[in-house]
Amino acid sequence: MSAEVEVDQVLVIARDIFSSMIDGEAGFLESWVGEPPVLAEPVVAWVDLRGPWSGRAALRTETPTAHNLSRALLGMSADEEVSDADLADAVGELANVVGGNVKALLPEGGKLGLPEVAAELPLTADAVLMHGVALAWRGRPLVVEIWALPTLDQP
Amino acid sequence: MRALVVDDSRTMRRIVAGILERQGFEVLQAEHGEEALAVLEEDDRFDLLCIDWNMPVMDGLELVAAVRKNRQWRNITMMMVTTEAEQSQIVRALAAGAHEYLIKPFTPEELRAKLELLGLVSVKELA
Amino acid sequence: MSLSPDVFTYVADLVQRRAGIQLDAGKEYLVEGRLQPLAKEAGHPRVDAYVRDLRVAERPADVQAVVEALTTNETSFFRDGTPFRLLTEHIVPALRGPNGSLPRLRVWSAACSTGQEPYSIAMTLADCVGPDTSVEIVASDLNTAVLERAAAGEYSRIETNRGLPSSMLVRYFDAEGTGWRVREQLRRQVTFLKHNLLEPPAFGGQFDVVFLRNVLIYFDLPVKRQVLEHVLAAMRPGGFLVLGAAETTIGLDDGWERVPLERGAVYRAVPRVPAWGLPTATSPVPVVLPAARGPLTGAVPRTAPPGVLPHARPAHVPAGVPAPVIRPITPAPVRGETR
Repeated sequence: MSAEVEVDQVLVIARDIFSSMIDGEAGFLESWVGEPPVLAEPVVAWVDLRGPWSGRAALRTETPTAHNLSRALLGMSADEEVSDADLADAVGELANVVGGNVKALLPEGGKLGLPEVAAELPLTADAVLMHGVALAWRGRPLVVEIWALPTLDQP
Repeated sequence: MRALVVDDSRTMRRIVAGILERQGFEVLQAEHGEEALAVLEEDDRFDLLCIDWNMPVMDGLELVAAVRKNRQWRNITMMMVTTEAEQSQIVRALAAGAHEYLIKPFTPEELRAKLELLGLVSVKELA
Repeated sequence: MSLSPDVFTYVADLVQRRAGIQLDAGKEYLVEGRLQPLAKEAGHPRVDAYVRDLRVAERPADVQAVVEALTTNETSFFRDGTPFRLLTEHIVPALRGPNGSLPRLRVWSAACSTGQEPYSIAMTLADCVGPDTSVEIVASDLNTAVLERAAAGEYSRIETNRGLPSSMLVRYFDAEGTGWRVREQLRRQVTFLKHNLLEPPAFGGQFDVVFLRNVLIYFDLPVKRQVLEHVLAAMRPGGFLVLGAAETTIGLDDGWERVPLERGAVYRAVPRVPAWGLPTATSPVPVVLPAARGPLTGAVPRTAPPGVLPHARPAHVPAGVPAPVIRPITPAPVRGETR
């Protein structure tokens, strides 16, 4: 997996998603500079991939950032309230788009699951972090992770 | 023009519906393939279906095949709007009967360009 | 932070001289936006200072870079749609011989920018001519940077999503990383060459079709005439010129005849007639309409005297040159006899 999907490609995918669907232009999603970010009030969205290679694409951020991402995606104004359901759906869809595009880089593909959202990523003991790409969206931390999950149930 | 947006994500439904409405479409929504078929059984006057691939209950590929099987619906244009980005998946969807394929993420301009290709909006003169 | 007038005048004059492109007052923002990256690269925070520096030194490479930065066109696959449909439905059928044969087809995509137009032409032709036709597409541009990109044939998702049908994408492209690349079989058909439209093309002539879209609009009248003259000289008699929807040869050059096809700006090179008058062919010239697969309507004769056909092969076409068996796209209007 790590041989197939490069950190740079994960970055390209993330930037593409943000410039196309969130910001409307490039330049608001940058690499995180400095020590790995510590997330306050974390929220994580992920999709699983089952196939010759099984794993997970996850998107971690802070809850206030997740609210802002949801507003941007849904075209809401800055003072509009984002419901929990909207937040889970919006951030989940972002993870879904990351997952689909990461899957396309794998030589043998696989089947994408439906997105899930929680405060913490539930991981099995054999999970291996392949990539953790720390980013800054409008200055706020956001991490894209690619996990290998060897014992994820086969479809 | 009428469109049915089929996606399990309410976020994505809202984004796609918003773009279509700005192009003058009347838009209805469904959360998965089975719900979309129920809508069509009720009233099939749609010019366009925008269909996500991965959905619960009935996925987008099954929906495309089901719509294609019904001769009454042969004039409905179907466009996949999905995060499934492999070339082989595009081939599968087109073979099943989809007319166009738009990979997420996309900009409003890209969706509009697809509508132009499908002849559903007029071609914008670039001068 | 706008451009000072003397800088704008200098740049406008430079682009006029080098590329024949007119930059009217009010385009300062364009100059500033396009030159900003060059200025930055040269270590100047402002475009003004960069241009003044350039003006003193006039290093050819820098001047070329400025001209290129200001002449890059916007483009997309199958831009405007109609010309490519007309290529399939009217132009190629009209170029076929009486028995439907089309041994070779030479196409020039002028001012091809990043290559979307020549590849769109290649895809269109791949779908409408068989393996018996040898297709050669020459694509030219003034800008070497865009030509390099064009020849590589690599496009981002956003570029492929603009105008390229998914069915074409999967047939003629391969996914490469997060973008797409034109397959080799198609890339091989297109030759990319640097060319300035103000000069006669160095890559020979005898083109059956020339795409010159949204180029003339940038030129003033004398330059338009000059460009059209170069294009005409590079065409076979009866060859087709495709212009942008808002463009015309009318009033510029009488070497062309408008082909009345819906909203497409399609023109045909009128064969040059010797000064002493029309060719006096003794045998009637066969007329086969492109739509002649079905029964002909009574209004159109199967044969007609050459005088009725402005595009009939003129007597001065030398032997050995493949006969441009030219059939009008619609019943031919009578004109040209007295020129």
